[in-house]
This record gives sequence, C-alpha cells and structure tokens, in this order.
Amino acid sequence: MRRPILLLMCLALVGCVPTPARVDSPRIEALDKSYTVDLPAGWIRQYTSEKNVVVSRDGFLLETLAVMRRPLKQAFQRTKKDVSETMLPSELAELEIAEIKARDDQTAALTVLDNEPAVVSGKEGFRVKVAYRNPRGLEFYEEVHGVVDKSGLYLLVYRAPRLHYFEKHYREYQRTVESFRIAGT
Amino acid sequence: MRRLPALGLLTALLLPSGTLAAVGAEPFTSGAVARPASEEEQRAWSEAEELHDIIVRSGVVYDDPALTAYVQGVMDRLYPEFRGTIRLTLLKAPHLNAFAVPDGGIYVNVGLLARFENEAQLATVLAHEGTHFTHRHGFLSARSLKNNAALATFGSLLGVPILPQLIAISSMLGYSRELETEADEAGYRRLLQAGYDVREAPRVFEHLMREVKAEDIQEPFFFSTHPKLKDRFGNMTRLSAHAMGGGDGARRDEYSRIVQQARIDTLENMLSMGRAKQALIVLEDETNLRELPPHALFWQGEAYRRRGEAGDAQKAEASYRKAIEAAPEFAPSYRALGIVLLKAGKNAEAAANFERYLALAPDAKDRKYVESYLRMARKEPGGKP
Repeated sequence: MRRPILLLMCLALVGCVPTPARVDSPRIEALDKSYTVDLPAGWIRQYTSEKNVVVSRDGFLLETLAVMRRPLKQAFQRTKKDVSETMLPSELAELEIAEIKARDDQTAALTVLDNEPAVVSGKEGFRVKVAYRNPRGLEFYEEVHGVVDKSGLYLLVYRAPRLHYFEKHYREYQRTVESFRIAGT
Repeated sequence: MRRLPALGLLTALLLPSGTLAAVGAEPFTSGAVARPASEEEQRAWSEAEELHDIIVRSGVVYDDPALTAYVQGVMDRLYPEFRGTIRLTLLKAPHLNAFAVPDGGIYVNVGLLARFENEAQLATVLAHEGTHFTHRHGFLSARSLKNNAALATFGSLLGVPILPQLIAISSMLGYSRELETEADEAGYRRLLQAGYDVREAPRVFEHLMREVKAEDIQEPFFFSTHPKLKDRFGNMTRLSAHAMGGGDGARRDEYSRIVQQARIDTLENMLSMGRAKQALIVLEDETNLRELPPHALFWQGEAYRRRGEAGDAQKAEASYRKAIEAAPEFAPSYRALGIVLLKAGKNAEAAANFERYLALAPDAKDRKYVESYLRMARKEPGGKP
C-alpha cells in the first residue's frame, strides 16, 4: 500500500518542480508562453516555483543567469511595489535597485556600477550593474536588464563572483539578452 | 539580519523570565577585569569576534573614522572604566538599531545617528547597550538560546553560520523584559553620572515608536501589541520626570554638525532602498529640514514620489520647485521636476528642466536616461519608450 503512495508523491513532486536538465537546444519558450530566449548551450537549466528559468554552468552558487516575468501588481515583492507600462526606464531601474537592496544586509550595502537605458526585446528598458559582498567577503557582480509592457515586468539577471567568473561567461549573458523576445513583439 | 524581526516572537518565547535570573552572573566592574569566566563564555566571546569578522568582510561597516571616534568618545564618557574594552562599530544600515555582543563590541546603525536630534539621545542608547555588555546580557541570552534545539534548527534552515547568528539574534532583538529594564535603569544612571540631559531619554523611545509605525511592522508580539516599547517609554519618562537639565545637557548643535554627512548618506540610502515613509519622518519635520542642506527639499520630493500615495505626485512637484528656489545650482531637482512634468504631458517645461540639468551636470551618470527623456519631451524619434 505504501509504494503507490510513495510513487504518487514522487510524481507530484516531479510535476511541480521540473528536475534540472542540460540546455541542449538553446531556444526555449517560457512555460507561460510569454517570451522566447536563447540560453547558453550545455548549461544546467532549472525552473523555479514561480516558473522562472535559471541556468548555470559551474554551479548555481557560482554563476546564475535567470530570466523572469513578473505580474505588474507587486512586481517587486520585497519592497511591495507595483509597476505599470507607463513607467520610465530609470524608474524601473530605481525599483530594481531597491529590490536588490532589500534582499539582505550585504546587498543593502551594494554599490551601483552602471545604470543606463538599454534596449530589451526591441523596447526601451534599463541595464543596471551592482557590486556587493557575501558574508564571507567574496565580491559579486550582478547585472540586470529589465523592461515592462502590458503583460508584465521582464528581468534578465546575471550574477557571479567578480573574480574570474563574471567576465568568463558575460558574453553568454549578452547573447541571452540579445535573443530575448516578449511574445507578440 | 533583515530577517531577524521575524524571529522576534521565537526569541521572546525562548527566554522565559527566571531562566536568566537563575543563571546568575556578576557584572564586570571595569575593562581590566572584563574577561570570560568560563569556557562557555569564552566561546561566546569568540563567536562575537567571528560575527565582527563577518560584518567587516560583508562591507557593511560605515567607514567614517571621525564619526566613529566621536561616537566612541560618547561611549567612553559614559563608561570611562571600560575605555578600550567597549568598542564601537558603525554600520551602513538606515534602520533605528544598535546592539551589543558579549565581548564588548557595540554596533550602531548610522540611521540611528541620523534620526536622533542630539548627543543626549545617542548617549541614552549607548548607555543602554553598554549595560548589556557590562552586565553580560549578551552571553546569558546567547547561552539560553543556544540550549534550544528548535532555534538551532530554525537558524540552520536560514542557511547562516549558526553561532555568530545566535549572538546577533540575542543582541539585536532585545532581551527579556527583566534584562531590558535593567539596561534601561543602569543606563539611566550612567547618563546622569556623565552629565547628560536625561530629559532627552524618553525621546529615544518616541523615535522608535514612530519608526515602528512607519515600517508598518506586522509582527504582533514583538512590535505592535507587545507593551515593551510603550512600557519603556513610560519608565524613562517616570525616571526623568523630576530631572534638571544636567551638565552640558543635550549638545544639540555639535551633534548636528558632526552627524551631518551621516544624515545625508542615510537619507540617500533610505530613498534608494525604497524606504520613503521612513525618510519622510525626517523630511516632513521643519526642524530637521533646517539642519539639512537647502537641497534637502529635493529629497523630500523624491520621498513623496517614491511613496506614491494619493496626492504625492503633486507634493513631489511642489517640493522640487521649492528645492530649485532654495538651491538653484543643485542639478537633480531639475531632472526630477522634468520627469514629473514629462509624465504630466507638460513637454516644453519638462524639456527646459532636462536641459538645465544637463547644463549643470554635464558628466551626470544618468545622462543617457535624461537625453532620452529630453528626446521624448521634444517628441523626437527614439525618445518614446
């Protein structure tokens, strides 16, 4: 009797959280069909519980590249801020920086390295690059491209230690950003 | 550390009154004899050192040697016999907070310095935190917490190094009611001995209560319905009710001069963290505004804009206009007003403000944004998002 229950539980878990898989075919479509993007081939892909995709080459604690869509309402959950499609790119960037700062005490002390307009999926968005340290003193860089339209806020995030890893895979991140397309645009 | 308020309930529940009283520990009488009395206490001191290392490595120390020396000086005035043993570290965080660890480390958020009005209010907090060290409250509470497996499990789930985190939890979230009362009363005596105007002490709790309200904190036990803050405000008011202004009193002017840059940094930090309500506690106060540079009205406008409640857009515009009047060479006010006007469809006036901004700040880091908004205001190609 126990084995069928165990099997059902396993199936349920698999159904909720897809297991990590290698990116063989770079082009993917979002689970909710809201965008398409080319992910770096050979990286390990995982979906979060919010159905966002995260990939990494050397391990998720080292470098991560994430593609996210958030609803306009409470798009920034930690700071409880909504967004609207009429928002200017600098206003979106400002909210994203506040959201990163709200993550923990280390990111609260971040330094903004770059903050400028950027074209994302053919629309005016933003590019922000910040630096912060983890509790062990390792410095991380995090770069975010973001854009909003009526279907939501879209963020592409690349995070890696400043030493060695950030530059090592930065070109893959740039290619991912360039390939990103919101459905219907 | 940001998650710690959520642990308040847990911490409070794990510290039943009587537990610490039963442990018993004599207060240190001077820095010369302030040493761990057991292996267990020695471990608590080592964990405090480890926490200090984490804090330093994390890049959260507010690096202002002059301000740190000033705050250390206030502490040394309160605890002259502990000079060299009680060591101050300022943290970049904008929240109203300070905490003590078992080895004499006292950590003060620069936001606390920014919010207080005078040295006597700062001294109230330092006297209180100093008592937590001299009376070994940090060690006693950490010991009580560490013995509880439930908390250890919870701490591990957070993915944090458990021992230093325990020290931080027991220090930052406050202690049992008995220990807090002891720290308030012993701290009050230190204030009197050092010649501070003790009538300023209740103001500290008023600041804390305003912060709690602005934070809209939901943890019901620790902040909202727990009578701790109100009780302590009442106790401090009672203690200081018949006090005269003592010695050189509150030292307001010197304090304002010394913490000026910290106030500015904290306001900018609050705004960049989206903490507009907290910033407005400072920026809606006329007295505070007078002690800030004239362009503080720009920050007031920023706080209204970021808060985004009904009517805030109009308040922001009014503040930006006042800021331009008060400090016509301060460039960001023009950019901010330009954005408000652009969104209101007043394109010609918006363009004029963007042009003025770029003229005043030709090397501005956000030049590309402003140039694109200028194109939008002029309805040029490539300007519309």
